Amino acid sequence: MEVSIYLIQAIHGLVYGMLLFLVASGLTLVFGMMGVLNIAHGGFYMLGAYLGYSIVVWSGNFWFCLILAPIGVGIAGALVERFLLRKVHILGHAHELLLTFGIYFIIGEMVKWFWGNYPLPFSPPTLLSGSSNIMGATYPHYRLFILCFGFVVLFLMAALLMKTRIGITVRAAVSDAEMVDILGIDVPKVFLGVFSIGSALAGLAGVIAAPFLSPYPGMGLDIMVDTFAVIVIGGFGSLLGAFVASLMIGELQSYGILFIPRLALVFEFLLMAIVLISRPTGLFGEKQ
Amino acid sequence: MLIEIAFFALFAVSCNMLFGYGGLLSMGHAAYFGIGAYTLALLLKNVIGFPLLLAVLLGGMAGGLGGLIVGYFCVRLKGGYFALLTLAFCQFFFAIALMWRSLTGGEDGIGVKKPVFYIPILGSINMRQTTDVYYFVTVIVIVCFFIIWYLTKTPFGNTIRAIKENDERADFIGYNVFLSRLILYTISGFFAGIAGALFAIFQGFVSTGTIDISRSIEVLFMIIIGGTGSFFGPILGSGVYVYFTDRISRITERWEFVLGVLFVLIVLYAHKGLVGLFPWEKIKSFVLSRSKTRGPIS
Repeated sequence: MEVSIYLIQAIHGLVYGMLLFLVASGLTLVFGMMGVLNIAHGGFYMLGAYLGYSIVVWSGNFWFCLILAPIGVGIAGALVERFLLRKVHILGHAHELLLTFGIYFIIGEMVKWFWGNYPLPFSPPTLLSGSSNIMGATYPHYRLFILCFGFVVLFLMAALLMKTRIGITVRAAVSDAEMVDILGIDVPKVFLGVFSIGSALAGLAGVIAAPFLSPYPGMGLDIMVDTFAVIVIGGFGSLLGAFVASLMIGELQSYGILFIPRLALVFEFLLMAIVLISRPTGLFGEKQ
Repeated sequence: MLIEIAFFALFAVSCNMLFGYGGLLSMGHAAYFGIGAYTLALLLKNVIGFPLLLAVLLGGMAGGLGGLIVGYFCVRLKGGYFALLTLAFCQFFFAIALMWRSLTGGEDGIGVKKPVFYIPILGSINMRQTTDVYYFVTVIVIVCFFIIWYLTKTPFGNTIRAIKENDERADFIGYNVFLSRLILYTISGFFAGIAGALFAIFQGFVSTGTIDISRSIEVLFMIIIGGTGSFFGPILGSGVYVYFTDRISRITERWEFVLGVLFVLIVLYAHKGLVGLFPWEKIKSFVLSRSKTRGPIS
């Protein structure tokens, strides 16, 4: 019995880590490329969860909303980049940060406005609603689905970034936006694309999280705190770093709660502080 | 409400010392506010008859000490990294306040006994009366404002501004960037601590809400609305913020939405804040030109 508790806790950690990775991957892309610490990312994540809820209620099909909600959120992200963020770009990073902050606030309030203040019931699709036996303990299928889905997204993104022409452009713009601009690539357009894909990823994470955590108004801020820890530990702009750090945080939290529940919260920030102090660019970040 | 404006103004000014003068965006400034508040509450609770003024001062000192320790790690970093690390430390303090129930009472918080005390010339000050609290808070806040204002005029203030403009250049000229920022961070923590202690007196109650992320966010709202970089901006901003949240929340439940829109509009179109909207420069040059033309005649 002892072993199975550790195992279940490990899987818990992996599942939450995967969820974190889904959120962090979009954020780290946007940060790595545009230098914008996008606080509104949590808002997009929350928007995804709520949009997903409405689409499921409307159409009754989870898979349908898994595609549609991220697209909706991606469009919202594109609008934000084009009409708001681009205007304050010349004023520097602090103002961009503050702007995304205000946008987060607006999204959060709109969510409360349309969907109310209380957590919404959101059940996983019937295909995944069962649970199975793992070493003598039952485990819901849906969480295992999150795990697999996270891996799929990781591989898709890695393939996109490493193997395609778009990926090469994006990676080049991450390392030196000015140079890419000089080489004749329309950097604002690339920014727009990356920002909307980043937001769409946040929306996707929201939909995935919805049956697991059920949508509630504070979910954006809650996950943002963990996500920031992830991108700081993993290194800004690094996909691999985000992946490793997500799983670290996930495991740290789930074992922390098992062993020393009182200090579980503290560990994460200690880890983050230690990494920032000893290696300011994160575990996998490139030098500034 | 005026009391609220007073200590929030002090909090905002302390935070603006970092952002406006030092160019350091702190997202965890509530930590020192909370440390100050908890220090005062614990002193008054555990030491009977502890002098209130000393407790406020010690609240500030505790905030300053926190600032010194955290600042030692944080001020080497810049921009987003700095913001995130301060956020992390704030969460760290929040977690301590939440988890260390035997000391802080966790979410239940600590009640602050409002004391009566005597000042030789002015007579007794009864902290149970709102007017007395008002005078007490206002006097302390104004004294603090003068100290901060004086600090910005000293050579130290100029050094800080030089570092904000270009830290590499300041470093080459021979200023100690690290030490200056650390001192700035400590001072800022000190005044935030005093603001927190005043808050504790006003509320009569301290809980984890004082050290929450949303408090750090609130203070950023204030300084952005009022205007960064100028001394009076944050004061105006905190006044507007407290007044508006009070007023709008009576009219509509969606006041946070209105606030968010206002915030975005200010960042977009008036990035110097409300203070920046007034044509100070024009008035200044107008007055100066008047006095110049008048000069030779008289």
